[in-house]
Amino acid sequence: MSETPSPGQASYRPRHRVDVLMAEDSRIQAKMLEKRLVDAGHTVRWAINGVKAVELLKEKRPDIIISDIEMPEMNGYEFCKIAKTEPSWQTIPLILLSSLSDPVDIIRGLEAGADNYVTKPYEPDYLLGRMDSLLDTPLKVESSAPGAEMEVTIAGQQFKVQAGRQQVLNLLVSIFENAVTKNKELIVTNQSLSVARDSLQKANTELTAVNEQIERSNKRMTRDLHAAAKVQQSLLPAKAIDVPAATVAWKYVPCNELAGDFLNVFPLDDEHLGMFVVDVSGHGVPSSLLAVTVGAFLTNRVSDSSLLVRPGKDGGPPVVVPPAEVVTQLNNLFQADNQAGLYFTILYGVLHAPTGRLRFASGGHPPLLHVPKSGALKLFEVESFPVGFVPDVEFTEETLQLNPGDRVYLYSDGVPEAMDEKLDQLGNDRMTALVESLRGEPVETNVTKLLESVQAWCQPKGPLDDVSILGVEWKG
Amino acid sequence: MSDVYRRIEVSKQGTAEIAKFKDKKILDETALDELRVELLRLINDRQGLDLLLDFSNVEFMSSAVLGLLGQIHRKMGVLKGKLKMCSIHPQIYEVFKLTNLNKLFSIHKDQAEALAKF
Repeated sequence: MSETPSPGQASYRPRHRVDVLMAEDSRIQAKMLEKRLVDAGHTVRWAINGVKAVELLKEKRPDIIISDIEMPEMNGYEFCKIAKTEPSWQTIPLILLSSLSDPVDIIRGLEAGADNYVTKPYEPDYLLGRMDSLLDTPLKVESSAPGAEMEVTIAGQQFKVQAGRQQVLNLLVSIFENAVTKNKELIVTNQSLSVARDSLQKANTELTAVNEQIERSNKRMTRDLHAAAKVQQSLLPAKAIDVPAATVAWKYVPCNELAGDFLNVFPLDDEHLGMFVVDVSGHGVPSSLLAVTVGAFLTNRVSDSSLLVRPGKDGGPPVVVPPAEVVTQLNNLFQADNQAGLYFTILYGVLHAPTGRLRFASGGHPPLLHVPKSGALKLFEVESFPVGFVPDVEFTEETLQLNPGDRVYLYSDGVPEAMDEKLDQLGNDRMTALVESLRGEPVETNVTKLLESVQAWCQPKGPLDDVSILGVEWKG
Repeated sequence: MSDVYRRIEVSKQGTAEIAKFKDKKILDETALDELRVELLRLINDRQGLDLLLDFSNVEFMSSAVLGLLGQIHRKMGVLKGKLKMCSIHPQIYEVFKLTNLNKLFSIHKDQAEALAKF
């Protein structure tokens, strides 16, 4: 009873206006059908099942009966049988509303003596048309002798059909009409299926084209990424750094292909060794683009664009720019608002090789770690803003006098802020304790072991940030 | 319009707009971009606005968030508004100290203390 007749407009104008007896157990279906029948000019009496329908039949003879099949207490076949056995009711045309899902349904209808079938779901107009054609030809009383009954066997079941010729004909025609209607619907459905298939094929072709395009773009982007990563690699120190007064070691592990970190160490002139670690906020393409741009200014090649070594005046020797001035200039050049809110931290140091005097400046960078040949380790905190944060600030210069065998470590926050699974940080204490325990080992070993401990701390996922470590020992 | 803000919870106390970060962790770039959009939408170029950022839900954040805070700070400066922050988790406050930004920003213990200073 779940089928709902579509709420069609009252377009069909019936030729007959009659009294209809309607047997239907679904209140909603009954109401909808009743409205449609009343709109068409019929009068309607409604019975909720076969038993009630028989009562209404007895009360007054209707002109036509419409009955559902599945109903409690007395179903449509049983009701039909009663209506068609009583001689005074035999000539009332009876339409069964059936889902016609089984050929046996037809025989059951015949056996019960039904005149017509309308399959559910149906268009109300279709039902009204059926009623009209039944009412056009009034049924005659068939004088059928008891011997006139036919025995039919379908699907192993035996049926005794007593219907008259007119009924059989009506029923056959209605079934045929049903079949034709369903066939038409099938053709329409097939056509829309075929249209849908065509558009699906078209969409599929377009999808394939788009996919190919994405793949091409992806390949190009991968190529570009590799190229950009190579450019970034050029910002790193040369493989073998040979500076007479110092031993140098470094490690650099970006967490993505493109990093926001970079570091370098190189001679600025015969006496000065420049060293820095830069950490641009964020990761990926925007951060690495800024890193490369900043890197171009941090070169030891004497030029007007180098912030580190300026050409000497009137052909004089090149001038090493003081660290604080370098960071101040960077802050003037790279304001975060001009570069999508990206800022960076830097620790820049200049070691005077003959004397071991280290001058350095910090722009919001983690502290410099000083490991003297003997004595306690010290973290040099410098209060300063990151570069690009606050316009027009002056950065200050710090000085540290090294003794022969003293070491300094510069690193990015990826080291102390390395996070384990529970988001606990490695922290300054663990970092310095590790370096303390490795004091006897070469700088190279210190840097390697420090990186390894960061990576071990971040198991199993690995570091979420770029990791840069630079160690310098002054030989004296 | 309650779905306009997904990353912040917005309320008003007197003249001050309070934006409370909803996330426990602000680590990825997507979260950061969404926060930026939502905070700028809240500020909406209003002159002389009082804005309080409440960090009480935040347990972890990447240092890139500082960039966003800097941007909001400068924006508020241009608009001649007042920006305050409160209820910052000790571990996060370390990052502020490390970058000296605790000197730049007006940071308070809790909402009540911050609101009293507007």
